[in-house]
Amino acid sequence: MPYIIQVNGKQHTADVESETPLLWVLRDTLNLKGTKFGCGAAQCGACTVHLGGQATRSCQIPVSVLGASNVTTIEAIGETPVGKRVQQAWLELDVAQCGYCQSGQIMSATALLTKIPNPTDQDINQAMNGNLCRCATYTRIRAAIKRAAELARA
Amino acid sequence: MRYIAAFLLALLLPPAAQAQDATAKPETKGEYLARAGDCVACHSVADGKPFAGGLKMGSPLGAIYSTNITPGKETGIGLYSLDDFDKALRKGVARDGHRLYPAMPYPSYAKLSDEDVKALYDFFMKEVPAARQANLDPEIPKLLRWRWPLAVWNAMFTDKQGFTADPKHDAPWNRGAYLVQGLGHCGACHTPRGWAFQEKALDDSGTAFLAGANLDGWYAASLRQNLATGLGGWSAAEITEFLKTGHNVHGSAYGSMLDVVNNSTSYLTDEDLAAIGTYLKSLPADKTEPAYAYDASTATMLAGGHPPDPGAALYATTCQSCHRETGGGSPPFVAPLAGNPTVLTKDASSLINIVLNGSQPLVPLGVPEAYRMPQFRAQLTDQQIAEVVTFMRQAWGNKADPVTAKEVAELRKSTDPSSDQVVILRMR
Repeated sequence: MPYIIQVNGKQHTADVESETPLLWVLRDTLNLKGTKFGCGAAQCGACTVHLGGQATRSCQIPVSVLGASNVTTIEAIGETPVGKRVQQAWLELDVAQCGYCQSGQIMSATALLTKIPNPTDQDINQAMNGNLCRCATYTRIRAAIKRAAELARA
Repeated sequence: MRYIAAFLLALLLPPAAQAQDATAKPETKGEYLARAGDCVACHSVADGKPFAGGLKMGSPLGAIYSTNITPGKETGIGLYSLDDFDKALRKGVARDGHRLYPAMPYPSYAKLSDEDVKALYDFFMKEVPAARQANLDPEIPKLLRWRWPLAVWNAMFTDKQGFTADPKHDAPWNRGAYLVQGLGHCGACHTPRGWAFQEKALDDSGTAFLAGANLDGWYAASLRQNLATGLGGWSAAEITEFLKTGHNVHGSAYGSMLDVVNNSTSYLTDEDLAAIGTYLKSLPADKTEPAYAYDASTATMLAGGHPPDPGAALYATTCQSCHRETGGGSPPFVAPLAGNPTVLTKDASSLINIVLNGSQPLVPLGVPEAYRMPQFRAQLTDQQIAEVVTFMRQAWGNKADPVTAKEVAELRKSTDPSSDQVVILRMR
């Protein structure tokens, strides 16, 4: 059945089963490959996107519940001021090692900084808790989030 | 080139490969009734031959094992006449005269019609392949193995007569009543048990019937019309959808209800499922309680990013990405927590158990679903699970008692982690 969904400010039609996870629609139907498949069970955070501004694991969102909510993916996050600063901080601190989790990390970090512009370590630990990094670059991720907050103050 | 090879290969594959499909609908009346009774769920083990028995079941006296009900002459029921089969099914007496333990739901099967007993007999004798597998002895101490007290138990707690249609109700209601009280043996889990482990009511004449009960670390929810903790907020069509697919807008199947959906109710006809919905909708609430009303302030708090207590903070990091800040989940695939009877019910065992152990896959008609609750046994402590479960029971307008770390610790001890093994017991 065709579903009309809003992704990165544009309207798309995806002709898929109602239970198809959003992640599959993004990667396979809309060819937006920046969002990664990690565990498929909302346990790793690699597939994080924004749904109506909230960081959400796209592997556990059936396409049928999206309705008119806007989905933002890593491809468009640089178009928001916060997302742009997060990307800049990521580059400055050379955060990524293998980079597989990076898209999800940036999406969660941007959602956090949108809600809490100057997060404490505790805020960061809590908001980023669901995003795993097998290279264990957590200290650089935390530093980059603080750097992005600093860029906003500058 | 590869496509051509794949096409040729597909032509070579025997059609039998498709006939193995678990989505196959029952072909005969007897097979259909065996699905409705979910005989396969207890009379088989994972990877075992269908109906060959061997499933270990806890009982107050010690473990017992389900038996081989294939038509094998040495180890099965191949020597049973229709009359022998009937006595076992409806009276709980085996061919050699020993009495069955009431783990076999003969108090429910006593409601079956003669015609259905005959159809089931024909199915087991003619369609089920014989399996040579000896029955296992119960692990009950020798002195407690006398079965004559069961005759007294039967005299006290079972109905003497079968199902009689109630002329005050229409045909679909009566069909639903027959399926729920009889083959469906819903009361085996959903009706509370009395001092002798008897179901407190075997039909709608008692208010304890399907009023919810705790069994093996799960709380089987009330199926009566209680507004918040029962099916008061579910329409008959939503009950039908739940039984057919394992979920609806209000919640998803878990625990042993998954076996029921995977092996039984997803195979029933729409008419029978609608009849069950009609019947369940007629069971009045056994206590008055206010209807659930949604409270949006929790969602606003979670969206704001400053959870005020450890339970809310844990929810935000571990649960929110699927169950959402609204507690609404993504129904029917990801269950809502706001207003879900499993979250609201007084006994929180099921909720704690799901957080600890996750859920097994839902596989209606043999097709596994993409969404499944993961387990948090290794990630969260007893205290953390108590905090997050307490948060869920009091968020979004939910009104239920807090949960203690002690309750979580007890369930952690008595339950095993779920495995990745999908238990789909096939009939053939």
